[in-house]
Amino acid sequence: MQDQTSSVLESRVRSKAASQPVVWGQVRAVLQAVGLNPLGLILIVLLASAPLVPPFNREDLLRYLIGAALIGAQAVAFDFTTGYINVVNFGFAAFTGLGAYTSGLLAVRLGVFPWAGMFAGAIVAGLIGLFTGVLTLRLRGIFAAVMAWFVGLAVMGLARNLVDITRGKAGLNVPTFLDTPSNLPYFYIILVMLLITYLGLRLITNSHIGLAFRAIGQNMDAARASGVNPTFYRVLNFTVQCAFAGWLGGFYAHYYGILTPDVMLTSHTVEVLAVAYIGGRGSIWGGALVAFPFIFMIETLRSNLTALPGLHLVIYGLLLVIVMVFYPGGVAQLYYMAPVYLRRLRYRLGQSRVGRSG
Amino acid sequence: MSRFVRWASSAAGLTILATVVVAVVSYLVAGPFTVINAVVTGGMWALLSAGLALVFGVMNIPNFAHGEFFMVGTLVAYFVFTPLQAQLKVAPNPVLAAVAPFAGILAALVVGGLVGFAMEKLVFLQLRKRSRQQWVMNAFLLTVGLSVIMINGVQLIWGTDFKGISRYWDVEPLRLLGVKISVDRIAALGLALVTIAIFWYFLMRTRTGRAIRAVSQDEVGAQMAGIDLNYIQALTLALSGAMAAMAGASLLFMFPSFPTVGLKPLYVAWYVVILVGLGNVAGAIVGGFIVALLQTLTSYFIGVGWEDVVPTALIILLLLFRPSGLFGSEVKGIWEQ
Repeated sequence: MQDQTSSVLESRVRSKAASQPVVWGQVRAVLQAVGLNPLGLILIVLLASAPLVPPFNREDLLRYLIGAALIGAQAVAFDFTTGYINVVNFGFAAFTGLGAYTSGLLAVRLGVFPWAGMFAGAIVAGLIGLFTGVLTLRLRGIFAAVMAWFVGLAVMGLARNLVDITRGKAGLNVPTFLDTPSNLPYFYIILVMLLITYLGLRLITNSHIGLAFRAIGQNMDAARASGVNPTFYRVLNFTVQCAFAGWLGGFYAHYYGILTPDVMLTSHTVEVLAVAYIGGRGSIWGGALVAFPFIFMIETLRSNLTALPGLHLVIYGLLLVIVMVFYPGGVAQLYYMAPVYLRRLRYRLGQSRVGRSG
Repeated sequence: MSRFVRWASSAAGLTILATVVVAVVSYLVAGPFTVINAVVTGGMWALLSAGLALVFGVMNIPNFAHGEFFMVGTLVAYFVFTPLQAQLKVAPNPVLAAVAPFAGILAALVVGGLVGFAMEKLVFLQLRKRSRQQWVMNAFLLTVGLSVIMINGVQLIWGTDFKGISRYWDVEPLRLLGVKISVDRIAALGLALVTIAIFWYFLMRTRTGRAIRAVSQDEVGAQMAGIDLNYIQALTLALSGAMAAMAGASLLFMFPSFPTVGLKPLYVAWYVVILVGLGNVAGAIVGGFIVALLQTLTSYFIGVGWEDVVPTALIILLLLFRPSGLFGSEVKGIWEQ
């Protein structure tokens, strides 16, 4: 009996292997190694070609796409910390703003090339993140969340008050990456940045470091007992996240071309947070996937209902609460569980048929 | 005497003595007005922070929507008080004029309590029934969502314009220590002190108060002793909401109602709670006055707009040397150690 089953299995495996060309298997392996699957690749190709097909080649829709990609990349970075070590960086927008201001000020005051300034922004945001992390991450997670928020408020206060340097609320005019009115090149820049953020963070989470992150996030005492130093890995994770936030801030500065302290408002953190959670915590890709339809919906709503300001934020809040209470895994869980749900559905349908016939 | 010396050399004693010294010095340097201002706002910050600390101690919810209770308080007080005021202009009545502000504040108290109760039943209870994993972070994010919903919901319904009053009691300001102080300020301080006293008596001397403290110390033990957890938790959030709403209503003359009016009080309450140690209710009451003094002095000596920067710097120092807060928190989070 057992022989029979195993031979059936073997033949199945053999037939499957034979039916697929060897190249395909290798492609899959390579993709898996960098953290992609064929579906993801198809989505990326679709996204990259989106601005070339009619509804999306309008400049205003392209702006939405760019905004969505930026929020998506931010959500990916956000999930790297929330989903893995279970710490919420509640000053996320301020770290983005810090990177943006660093890059912008370097470009304005010292004439630094925007492409280099971006990385300077990442370093500064990473350093402040390191400082915040060292200070708070040996304590309970809520300290880090609240402290990051305070640091964010303080940075926003500095940007507002140091009028001589930042021009305060009047706004800082920043040179853009390119001398073109077209949004198309910017879309490809942010798309590449989104990919780099995703692949880079995926590389970390797939390594043994990612394993340590996950262990700390799930049960810190057990992780500590297994010889993982929680403070070190939490600080590492937090710093990397802040550096990515600062780097993405560089894009913000040199795309929009104007910086006000409002970049750092907590409501921007909430936007990123909502997208990351609806996308599914601990998935890394969930936020990037959800950002596009979500931001499109929100922006369309916002431009059509100017009489009702703030409605889109109510929707953000409601979705966040509903997802957190009723379906904490978000879209990522839906994706992973889809086969199970389908099987269950099929089983139920089958049962009802049996019931009817009997 | 030796007990006093021991208390004075502890961190808590040192802080309180230092605060008193700073208050006296600033009284001499900057004049009595700064100190009086600090005391009046300090009473309200104490109300807010005590509620925040209580909710964290008992329910393990780091409440980011605490400022929205304040906002609801200002809104309710405005909508109750202004029609009464208009009525009084038509038919003056000295007794009614003295009582009308209390009607607004009381209404705010009740509505704030109801909002807190509804929050617990509609959101936190639902999450608690489903999952307690990583509760503190999830609860924190839920309050963020609630805060966004409430701020923007109020904005959608009532708009962003300032809804304020110039004063509650239309009488001459009193003279005290050579400065004029409006009756509103004195009333706000009196209300805060009375409320804190009642709150403290309730928490320390009544059966229900004891049950609340029991839950904050050991939830399972409290449940075994026959305490209805759901009731205590709903009551705690309602109490905290009522106190914050009351603070908002009593300060309506300083903070006109608009959707994001609660953000500043929220920052302050969090500064206080981190400063004194998470979940320490008694410390939060003292800390409210300390932070109020700190802020008044910051805006007096350094300038308006720096009130966020200075406390953050102080808290950074504190976390470096004494992460459990000035007074150390006796009440720790239950699920997350």
